[in-house]
Amino acid sequence: MSDLNDRLLAAHHADDKAALVSLYTRAAAAADGPDAAGFYLTHAYVFALELGHPDAPALRAELIAQGRETPL
Amino acid sequence: MNMSPTDLSTVRRPIDQANGLSNAHYIDPGVFAEERQAVLFNNWPGLATASDVPEIGDAVPLTFLGMPLLVVRDRSGQVRVFQNTCRHRGMILVDAPRKIDGAIRCPYHSWCYSTEGRLVSTPHVGGPGQNTHAGIDRALLGLVEIRSHVWMDVIWINISGTAQPFEQANADLIARWAEFDKPLYHGGADSRFQLTVNCNWKLAVENYCESYHLPWVHPGLNSYSRLEDHYHIENAGHFSGQGTMVYRQLKGEDGKSFPDFADLSDKWDTAAEYVTAYPNVLLGVHRDHSFAIILVPEGPEKTTENVHLYYAAPATDPELRARNTDQWKQVFEEDIFVVEGMQRGRHGVQFDGGRFSPAMDGPTHMFHDWVASQLEAHRAAS
Repeated sequence: MSDLNDRLLAAHHADDKAALVSLYTRAAAAADGPDAAGFYLTHAYVFALELGHPDAPALRAELIAQGRETPL
Repeated sequence: MNMSPTDLSTVRRPIDQANGLSNAHYIDPGVFAEERQAVLFNNWPGLATASDVPEIGDAVPLTFLGMPLLVVRDRSGQVRVFQNTCRHRGMILVDAPRKIDGAIRCPYHSWCYSTEGRLVSTPHVGGPGQNTHAGIDRALLGLVEIRSHVWMDVIWINISGTAQPFEQANADLIARWAEFDKPLYHGGADSRFQLTVNCNWKLAVENYCESYHLPWVHPGLNSYSRLEDHYHIENAGHFSGQGTMVYRQLKGEDGKSFPDFADLSDKWDTAAEYVTAYPNVLLGVHRDHSFAIILVPEGPEKTTENVHLYYAAPATDPELRARNTDQWKQVFEEDIFVVEGMQRGRHGVQFDGGRFSPAMDGPTHMFHDWVASQLEAHRAAS
């Protein structure tokens, strides 16, 4: 997680939003519990939404499935 | 600051007895604020052009009379104007022109809006990882949209939301220039320029409306377009300006000119018209090009003029286009000493607003009278 954390910070520093989508998605998968996972998944979704990233619909669907978001 | 209302009664007299708006209307911050609401926010000023956001997702933040606005071309291609302010903590959403690929994300807490202004994401609003909350109804928290309308490529806005629909408010001008209601092609980067002038925005309108000054200030124009070749254009309450009967097309070394707008009537073979669409847009139409000058009031004594030139075809001769831009720029620059001189003159405390030539200043007095009418209506409602 430390390496992932470093890469997340680097992506934030570089304003590399595509990388943020990917890295936060990985952080969600590697998170210890559902709330931490939901936190990271939210970040992945928000940056995907901003970018118009192809993963945005699936990320929102996952958040909806977890009761963390509503349909558009 | 002037705290008592200015006297408008002398402005509203018939032109041969009228005085112009008093000095306070040009130099007093209090009157500037009053006119901001009465003359500009309550009507349909021009803000920018649709050509400023040519592609889907283009977003341009602008400050208009202190208001932060965001011009966006949405996913369906429609131009929209929003208040550039997040519905959460009031943060500025977009601080430089850019392309919105997906959503407009507030840089503070990442609330996200679609290009149509819909609030689509409120991350962690219900606590970490919980993105909804019963107390946050997204349907009620979309971006505040400003009424807007595109005509002659100009984006016109009504900030108060109380004006008549644009097509009604400007029906007579739209009808007058119906022959030009066809695709206009912005000439591109070489066909836009900006002038910053140290004057109240109304002085730029007043100078533009009349032909009286042409032989004195624009002797180059007067060499072929004499004072007697001009006529007044007057539509009380809506627009005023002047026309010429001897417009001459610009020609390249090969004798070629710009292509004409299609299907124009014979009048336009040699006519050209220059009109202020109240309050702040100076428009000009000719058989082969048009232009729009959007006056952006920066303060009581400073105005930015954004000038855009348009043609009847998407591809025109770049050299000829550059010459046309230069020609107009020279004309508009020739006016700067006049509008700035009138501004300085309005610090003469004994100046009474001035008198008008009953024969030559009709379009200018009509504008003064309209400004006064808007102020009277605003004062009556306050």
